[in-house]
Amino acid sequence: MQAKFAPVFGLLLPALVFLPLLAFMPFEIHGGGWGLIANFFGAALRPSLTPSLLATAFSGIAITLAVALWSWLLSLLIGIAAGLLSAPTVSQAFFGCRWPADLLRRVLALPRSLHELLWGLILLQGLGLQPVVAVIAIAIPYGALVARVVCDQLESLPQEPFRALRVAGVPSPAALLTALGPSLLPGVLSYGGYRLECALRSATLLGVFGLGGVGADLRLSLQSLQFHEAWTSLWALALLMFLLEQGIALLRRRWWQPGAVVGQRGRELLLLFVLLLLLLFPAAQLLDLQWQVLLGPWHWPMDQQIFQWQAWQQPWPKLVGSTLLLTVIAALAAFAAAPLLLLLFSPWALMQPLLRGLGLIARLLPPPLTALLLLFVFKPGLLPAALALAFHNAGILGRLFLEGLEAQDPRPEQALLVAGVSSRKALLMARFNGLAAGYLAYGAYRADVILRETVVVGLVGAGGLGVVLLEALSSFAWADVLPVLVVYALLTLIGEELATRYRSFLLHKHPQKEGGAPTRLQLLAKPMLERA
Amino acid sequence: MFVYLIAFAFLPLQLPAIAETKAAQNQQIPHQAQRPSANKILLRISAIPDQNPEKLNRLYGLLSDELQEKLGVQVKYIPVIDYSAAVTGFRNGDLDLVWFGGLTGVQARLQTPGAKVLAQRDVDAAFHSIFIGNVNSFKGIKPIRGFNDLQQFKGKRFTFGSESSTSGRLMPQYFLSKGGVKNSDFAGGAPGFSGSHDATIALVQSGAYEAGAVNEQVWQSNLKKGTVDRTQVLALWRTPPYPDYHWIAQGDLDKRFGIGFTKKLQKALISLRPSNQQQQQILELFGARQFVVAPASQYGEIESVGRKLGKIR
Repeated sequence: MQAKFAPVFGLLLPALVFLPLLAFMPFEIHGGGWGLIANFFGAALRPSLTPSLLATAFSGIAITLAVALWSWLLSLLIGIAAGLLSAPTVSQAFFGCRWPADLLRRVLALPRSLHELLWGLILLQGLGLQPVVAVIAIAIPYGALVARVVCDQLESLPQEPFRALRVAGVPSPAALLTALGPSLLPGVLSYGGYRLECALRSATLLGVFGLGGVGADLRLSLQSLQFHEAWTSLWALALLMFLLEQGIALLRRRWWQPGAVVGQRGRELLLLFVLLLLLLFPAAQLLDLQWQVLLGPWHWPMDQQIFQWQAWQQPWPKLVGSTLLLTVIAALAAFAAAPLLLLLFSPWALMQPLLRGLGLIARLLPPPLTALLLLFVFKPGLLPAALALAFHNAGILGRLFLEGLEAQDPRPEQALLVAGVSSRKALLMARFNGLAAGYLAYGAYRADVILRETVVVGLVGAGGLGVVLLEALSSFAWADVLPVLVVYALLTLIGEELATRYRSFLLHKHPQKEGGAPTRLQLLAKPMLERA
Repeated sequence: MFVYLIAFAFLPLQLPAIAETKAAQNQQIPHQAQRPSANKILLRISAIPDQNPEKLNRLYGLLSDELQEKLGVQVKYIPVIDYSAAVTGFRNGDLDLVWFGGLTGVQARLQTPGAKVLAQRDVDAAFHSIFIGNVNSFKGIKPIRGFNDLQQFKGKRFTFGSESSTSGRLMPQYFLSKGGVKNSDFAGGAPGFSGSHDATIALVQSGAYEAGAVNEQVWQSNLKKGTVDRTQVLALWRTPPYPDYHWIAQGDLDKRFGIGFTKKLQKALISLRPSNQQQQQILELFGARQFVVAPASQYGEIESVGRKLGKIR
């Protein structure tokens, strides 16, 4: 029994980060803005409903959704193509060697290493105020991420059917499609749905930084303290996110329920695709997407030397140190929040919907705006920045955690309950334990994402690389921008490598059960390819 | 399935181009490149986002109508929510006429050869910032009479507005440096950047920051609206004057809209008068009695301060 407890400890140990956070909190509160916070939440019940504002909110939502849809679709296309090309099996089958795939996989780590916001700011320089900037900015890093998951999925499938077909003389493309295609589909579909949710969040965030849509409305109304107006956008966004998440969850359940009618999934999938494609045209119209600007002349600012030696002489240890500290605190808190809250409140049936609601708000509020709200009561510094990042990511992690919990076999917990074990202990020993390794592995991946996201909370004075970057960008000092981008990329590449190793270590130690629809946790927690 | 998906994905690549060609034919205008900067008939105006968006939309909606009427060209307001995005948009030719701040205007002109300063408000030749402080931190403060008295801000939590704001950042930082206060002298080793003047007021009033610097006009209008709690936040110091906001136009307007267009545009701006009802509304929203011709040389001071503080390279 002792040995079986171990993963659960891994799950709850990060919660220790709350001790120092809570201990320091009283010293970091100035408390002058409780009135503002009260006004903010008070305004939730009375969003502004003037027709002009409703129209603004609606068009903001439509723009954000359009950006999300297009960037999502592009990222899937890029990701699936690049994912297949970077899989050694495919490379072996087509070219007879695996090095092209290995090379491509390493190259793909680069676009992943920069946050979509940074891609947006870079592309904005070259392309100007074009709606297509937001779409491409999300599609680039997302495409590289999807490629990684597709490639990992493909490589973890049993290879025997494929080899058998090859030996029987079937040509490689056909053999790949027949042997690996059907088993790849559930994973890709499930992950694809998840990416749409992510794309919606990213599109909102990019709006906060000037690329239009509901994020822009939110930032401007929060900054000028027009809370009633802010809530009009927030409620609209909440509704959209809720519908999207529930819709995707519904399809997941429907398509993978045992005993589904044969062929039903295929038909519905086709219908869904047609629907999406029909949506894409109005979306492109709305955004006035002009793809041809990608081919036209790019207007890079040429008046400066891009490489200046003195721009590389920054206080790197301090900058990197505070960025990493922010990442670690935010990642641990985000990771531990959901299990801890569930464990504390599990005996009360009412708490679950309440926590779910809180999670939804956490996911829909972009971290820089949460940080701005936190500043009304906290002194500026690391703490509000870390809390803002932790809150947002706890919403995302919590959702995956709950989903994972529900997919667990309920019998061990019921057995424990029948045996008279308290409900908290039963939850801990049965459900949490089964989930722990997968959740830990996913947490490692999320820490990576949080590292990239630290750039967006620079505004609350947390220090670190984000502040230097925003200052350099607003001075149009490209020579200063370059080193920060390079350091960011290096940090995330190292982070990704560490996270990958940790995950394969975890999953080797605690192999996951497979079967049925893979939960996203299982999918995302899959180890990267073993390095050859 | 995939083939369809790909085909569909790239279809819209053609669509806007087709639509544009049609529009161009309808208006009997020769269709050039698809890039909007090559658009010959539409005057695109914009502004740095220093006010709440609703006010900006109202203001520039009115101004667009007015200019359209006076100039006989189509005018469109393109909202931008970031100071540097306005500069970038202007440099890339996506915007024709922009209401810039002092610093962003200089940045935009340096990056856009040929760009011209058209006009400023009567108040812009001598604009001011106000340093504000939270009552709890600055109750017994020694009145600030000269730059040296700014030393009292050392060790305080201090916030500027946007990174690129002239009145909310550049000039306040410059005056602080004259008083021997560096950015690293503030609590936490760095100032904050609230993002906007309204946010600076709210954050100082709440106490998140003990002090901050804001645009005098925004401060006054917040006082008038009653959104400032005078028991919580104090006006500590009014800075010396400096030139700020101004209209900047692309250098190729004459080529695109006809000879003498730039002059006509300038005249349309400086001839706005409070006696006309619609024009009065515009001027009131701008917080000005009228627009006047501005010499570009006036902004030399802003440029040299910008270079000193590293905001212009």
